Formats: sequence, structure tokens, C-alpha cells
Amino acid sequence: MNTNLKISNVTKIYPGCVANDNVSLEFNSGKIYALLGENGAGKSTLVKILSGVIIPDEGEIYLNKNNLKLNSPLDAKKNDIGMVFQHFNLFETLSVFENLIIDSDEQRESLREKIDTIMKKYNFSIDLDIPVLNLSAGQKQKVEIIRCLIRSPKVLIMDEPTSVLTEQETSELFLSLKKFSEEGILIIYITHKLKEVMQLCDEVAVMRRGKLVSVSEIKNENIESLANKMVGQNLKTIKKKKAKTSSDQLIKITNLNFTSEDPFETNLMDINFSVNRGECLGIAGISGNGQSELFQVLSGEIISEKNSIEFNNNYIGDLSPQERREFLMAFSPEDRLEQAAIPQMKIFENVALNNFKSSNFFNNGLINENKIKEHSKKIISDFNVNTNNIELKSQFLSGGNLQKLIIGRELITSPDLLICFNPTWGLDVGAINYIHETLIKINEQNKSIILISTDTDELLKLSDKISVIHKGKLSKIMNAEEVTSEKLGILMGGAN
Amino acid sequence: MIKIIKRDQPSRAIFFFTPVLAIFLTLVAGGLIFFILGFKPFEALKFFFIVPIADKYGFSELLLKATPLCLIAIGLSFCFKSNNWNIGAEGQLTFGAIVSGGVALLFYEQEGFYILPIVILAGAIGGMLYASIPAILKTYFNTNEILVSLMLVYVSKLILDYLVVGPWSNPEGFNFPETRQFSDSAKLPLLFEGLRIHAGIFLALAAVVISWFVFYKTYLGFQMKVSGFSLKTARYAGYKGKKMIILVFLISGACAGLAGVGEITGPIGQLHREISPDYGFTAIIVAFLGRLHPVGIIFASLVVAITYLGAETAQIFMQIPKYTGQVFQGMILFFLLASDYLLFFKIKFIGSKK
Repeated sequence: MNTNLKISNVTKIYPGCVANDNVSLEFNSGKIYALLGENGAGKSTLVKILSGVIIPDEGEIYLNKNNLKLNSPLDAKKNDIGMVFQHFNLFETLSVFENLIIDSDEQRESLREKIDTIMKKYNFSIDLDIPVLNLSAGQKQKVEIIRCLIRSPKVLIMDEPTSVLTEQETSELFLSLKKFSEEGILIIYITHKLKEVMQLCDEVAVMRRGKLVSVSEIKNENIESLANKMVGQNLKTIKKKKAKTSSDQLIKITNLNFTSEDPFETNLMDINFSVNRGECLGIAGISGNGQSELFQVLSGEIISEKNSIEFNNNYIGDLSPQERREFLMAFSPEDRLEQAAIPQMKIFENVALNNFKSSNFFNNGLINENKIKEHSKKIISDFNVNTNNIELKSQFLSGGNLQKLIIGRELITSPDLLICFNPTWGLDVGAINYIHETLIKINEQNKSIILISTDTDELLKLSDKISVIHKGKLSKIMNAEEVTSEKLGILMGGAN
Repeated sequence: MIKIIKRDQPSRAIFFFTPVLAIFLTLVAGGLIFFILGFKPFEALKFFFIVPIADKYGFSELLLKATPLCLIAIGLSFCFKSNNWNIGAEGQLTFGAIVSGGVALLFYEQEGFYILPIVILAGAIGGMLYASIPAILKTYFNTNEILVSLMLVYVSKLILDYLVVGPWSNPEGFNFPETRQFSDSAKLPLLFEGLRIHAGIFLALAAVVISWFVFYKTYLGFQMKVSGFSLKTARYAGYKGKKMIILVFLISGACAGLAGVGEITGPIGQLHREISPDYGFTAIIVAFLGRLHPVGIIFASLVVAITYLGAETAQIFMQIPKYTGQVFQGMILFFLLASDYLLFFKIKFIGSKK
């Protein structure tokens, strides 16, 4: 039987951001569809709407001409829509079978029989009675897939399924998906990896900034054309003036490695780069490719080998963030609310987080509140933070104002190098422009910036040099003028 | 119809109101229990909460009980404010008492102004040592401090048991499980003739002032505050998160140890099996009832101390088991946790539409 899934004029608005802007799409079984886009393009919102996790503000969903009201994930399941999320929803300490029986209404024996049939059919081999924690990532994913197949779904949605898989597991997955498709299951495959789209899918829908950009057949596309659609044409409208390139090297990273014990973190492999004074080095990449780890290594939250980081002719790889600040480095992390600032604390207390010896915020171990307050007032007026009450808890600041406060705080000491990670993430246009202007100003004062960002437009606008991080490795460093969005898109997707 | 609405942010007024509400609800529920048991509720509550502190002696007893509670709760507030769940203060109290008692016994029948400070210091160090066990296991081996600190309570009680029955028992004590009496130089001086209130109260008051100063006025306190809110932020700011964790455990261990010193060198004057009626556990209630704030903790320790006294009076005059005191302590915590719901949610009464 043919399955037809239709999304009609779906809109979902979050405060300050339109996640899905009037998206309409139609899928038919027998084909594998790719939903392609950068982080924040709106893919995840769309599939969450399809799986009942999010309720759209407007728009309808039709399955075989029936209007679906998906108010919860259970509704999606009832309507034969199966979903495999990027991160597994399995109980690690329970056995595979126990995990599968949890949300099934069937008898133990009949369920076991059913699972055995499914596994035989698709050539899965998983021991049902061992705890899930003993499985590899690929096997865990198969458990999730089996969980969907038990309900014989009409639609199967896979959200970035290969991000945790090895090459071998990936090709196994592709074989299974093709088989499912042949059997009439409609497959929607969400990814930002261009190579996979070309390999696996029949049709591709590209999203950018909440809007559907294009729907086309794979045979009419190639990696370059898709990259272009995904990243968008560069809008270098307020591209900064070309800085006078100095050859005065400020920071040099040599053979920097980081191996994490946490399976959800990315290992950094052999990172090498240098930044000159007055320069902005942009580091592009799809999130989760090691940006956060790179930021932490640069800020000193993760200590590395002493000689791996040379800053202003000092080896500082083994120094803590506080010690690095004394060498005139400053850091603006990605997570404003959980790392860069403490929402429950007052504005001036948050200012004191960037503590320098010369700032005299703390004298002889005592808090020098007057000094901190004086400085906070200055930051608020210099950086246009929209309040005049430094006693305000910072949770009452908007994202843009909080980010201005953070950047302002980091620039108190006029540092030689500012390292920012997604500084405009989630901000409105006005705040974005303000932050961008501030960053350009820093470069004009012959200070340097390392800008780690998942926003390609931002990188193309602000950087003098650009490199791309993929799976913990940096690409070669390119001059920003030579870089096109196409090229970035290809590198971000892991191709050369 | 009643509708429950989530608040945008916790209400500041409610934050201070809920402890009062909890105490009120405890009184109501307590009265109800007395009524069910066949007592006149108001009379029973009077015996429980007013009679015990109606005279000078009673008031001195109140302060005597409140002293260890306050001291321990002040220490615990450092832990709780930074999300370290040390619930083994009872063990730290016991171990502090063991160490300081051991030192006091070393000075058996000796005189000297220097003895008492050494004994007090020994108690603080004992408490710190004992608190360092869960702290180090937590920071370096990722163990759960709740389990470790709780289980160590029983270990310390067994050590005490062994000592007072075995090697440290009084040679002339007819095999009673207790040590010799400490010399007068090893005892905290009594403040008033005929009353049991002793100089330990100054330790508690000093702890209140110092903790307020450290937490609100020093860089160290600022770092603890930040680490408590978010370890991620602490790491980013360059604070030593692990050291902060160990430090708050040491502070709270020292306070509990001092409370132990106060017990054995105050009214008791020797080590024996039961040196503390679970002050270490009750202090957890005190800390939360006092909203982890030094001043709040003073009031909370007084309120909770009454339940100890009230239980005794009620046992004497009304033949109610003294464990009723624990029932009241439990109810206070229960109602506090329950009314904390109001911190995050509003209850709205909506007229029913017909």
C-alpha cells in the first residue's frame, strides 16, 4: 500500500525566532527522502512536529489524506509514524528485551516471536537478554529501529542517525533503510551530511533559517549545488574592511590533541594554527564536531600540554583560565545561561566572574563591591546593555543584553585575544549587528579574535581566515576571500 | 475551581513565608494528632511548646539544645548551598567528640588554661577528618556523598561504642559504658550558676558571624557561591571546583565536630554511648527551615530545639512517648518541602461557572 505524508503550511514560532516558516512538503512511500540543513535550519523542529513532540502554531499534517492531530509522541506512534532520535532513549541497565517491552502492549511470548522475525528478516543479530550498556552504538540504534518496526510503521524518521556510527555501521544502516523503503515504508532521513544524501536518498528537501529552500531529485543535484543551497549565498553586505595584515604572531597552536573519556565528546586530533595580531580566525563546522572541546582547550578549562599553546611568546597550555586571563586572553563561551553567566546572580556579581589582579575586584580575599559596581556601570553604558540597575538578577536580561554584558565583561581589560563560541546564537538581528560591530572594532584596534561559530554567514562576514572543523580535525586555513559558501559547505560535510 | 499556575520566577516573599507556614501547619497537624490520641489539643500544644521554656531553667535548656543544632546547620549550609549533600553530620559530630574526648582524657586530672583550646581544636579537626572521607571519595572517585556520609555515621557510632566499652572505659566505672570524667580544665565553663547553658553557645554565635562574613563578603565565599550554582561556570572562571567541594565538607565537618565537643565537654563531661540525640540529622531540618541563611538558622534552631524539650515535658506530664518530638521534626520538614511548592507555583481560585 502506498503511503502519502503531507505537511501543509506548518509554522512554529519561538520567542525571537521562527523555527518553521510556512513549510509545505509531500512525501510518498517507495522513496528515501533527505531533509537537509545546517544547525538551526528548522529540521529538528519539523521532525519533532511530525513525531508529536512539538505542536505547531499553524498548519496541518495529513497521512493518506487523513488529517492528523499529533498532540504527543503517543499520537504519532498510534498513527504509524516511527522516529529514531539522534540520542538513544534506552535504559542502559535493562536488557534489550525489557527495553522493547516497556512501550508495547503485547504478550511477552508473542513480542519475542515478532522481534525474532524482524531480526531474521533484516539480518540483525542482537542478544535480547543482555543489558543495553553492553551494546555498541550501532546495535543500540538497531534496538531503536526494532522498537519502531514492532509497530509496523508507515513512516520511519531518522534524525541524524550516523553521527554516532562507524563507517561500517553506517553502510549497514543504509542497506537496512533501503530494504525498508523497498517494503513500502516511507523513510525521512534528516542530516547535514551531503555525502550521505547523495549515497542514500532519492529526493532532497533543503531548509535554511526555518524556510524550505528547495525540493529536488538527487539525480539533478551534486555536492556543490546542495552545499550552496544549504549554506546560502554569502551576504557579505557589511563585510569588514580588510585589516592591514600584520605578520606579528600572537597565538600559535602546535600538535594539540585531546582525548575524551566521554563518548558524547569529540576528540581533537593534531590541531595546528596560528593567529596574528589584528586578525580574526573563523572556525566553521556543524555543531558537535569538536568546537566545544576546542573552546575549552583554548580557554584552559581543559588543560593540555604546556608547549601546545604559545601565546605572546609564553607557553600556556597548562595554565588555568584565570592564569590565562592574566596573559590578556578573554573568553566568551557558547552557553550564556549555564556557563558564561549565572542567571540567579546579580549583574555586578556576574561581572566579577572575570577576575583580574589589576581589576581589584577582590582585595586580600575580600569582595570589593564598590569597585565591581563601578565597573559594571561602565560596562552597561559602554556596551549598551538595556538596563541601569546593576543589582538586577541577570536572568531578567534578554539574550542580547546578556551577551553584550558578557562581551563587555570580557573586554574590560582590553585583552589581546578574544575567543568566542557562537556569540550571536539565538539573538535577534539588532543584537547580532551590535555584537558583530563590536568584534570588528576589536580587530581594528589590532586585537585578535578566534571565532568559533556554526553560523557561516557570520564567519564569512567577520573572518580574515577561515578553517573548518570536522570530527575533531581542522581543515587547512584559508583566506576568507578565497572561501565560498559552497566550499565551506563541502568541508563541513566532511568531504575534501 | 482551583487552578495551579507556574510562576515565572520563585517569589521572594514566599521564600521567607513558607518556613512560617510550615511551622503553622505543623502545629495544626500536631494538634490534630493530640486530639486523635485523646488529649485536648491546645493544652497538649501548650505543654509541648510553651511550658518547657516558661522559666529561666527551661530557657537555658532551650539554648543548650539549640547550640549544637545551630552550629551543625551553619556548617551544613555551606555544603547544601553548593549542592553537596552531606547528611553525615551526626557521624562528624561523633568522630569530633571521639577525638576531642580522647585528647581530654590525655589531660585527665591535669589543670591548665591551654587544655580547653586544645580539646576544642581536636574536636574540629576530628570532624574535618571524618568529613574529608566522603569529600575525597566524591571528588576523586565519583562516589555518591549521600551514601558515604550517611553510612559513616554508623561506623563512627560503632567506633565510639567500642572505645567506651573497651579501651577507654572508666577503670573504676563498674563496667558502665562510659569514660572517666574530664578534668575541669577540659570542660566548657557554665555561664550561670545552677543552669546548664555553657560557653559552647559562643562557638555557635561565632560560627554564625563567621559564616555570614565568609559567604557574603569574601572571595572564597564568592567562589563557593558560583561553584554551587554552576560547576561549569566555576571552571570557566578558573575556580578550583574540586577544592571548593572538599572545603565545604571540611567546614561542615569542623562545625559538626565542634558541636560534638560542646556536648561532651559541656553538660556531660565524659564520653559515653549516647552523646547526641541525633542532632546531626535534625540539623538538616534546621538548615533548610532557616533557608540556609545564618540568621534564619538561628531562629530555626530555636524552633526545632523546642521540639526536643516539648517531647520531654510531654512525656513527663502527659505520658506521651518522647519520640513525639521526632514526629514534630519530621512534620516540619514535610510541610516545609510541601509548601515550597508555592515557590514555583501559584494557586488560583476561580469561581465555578455554571
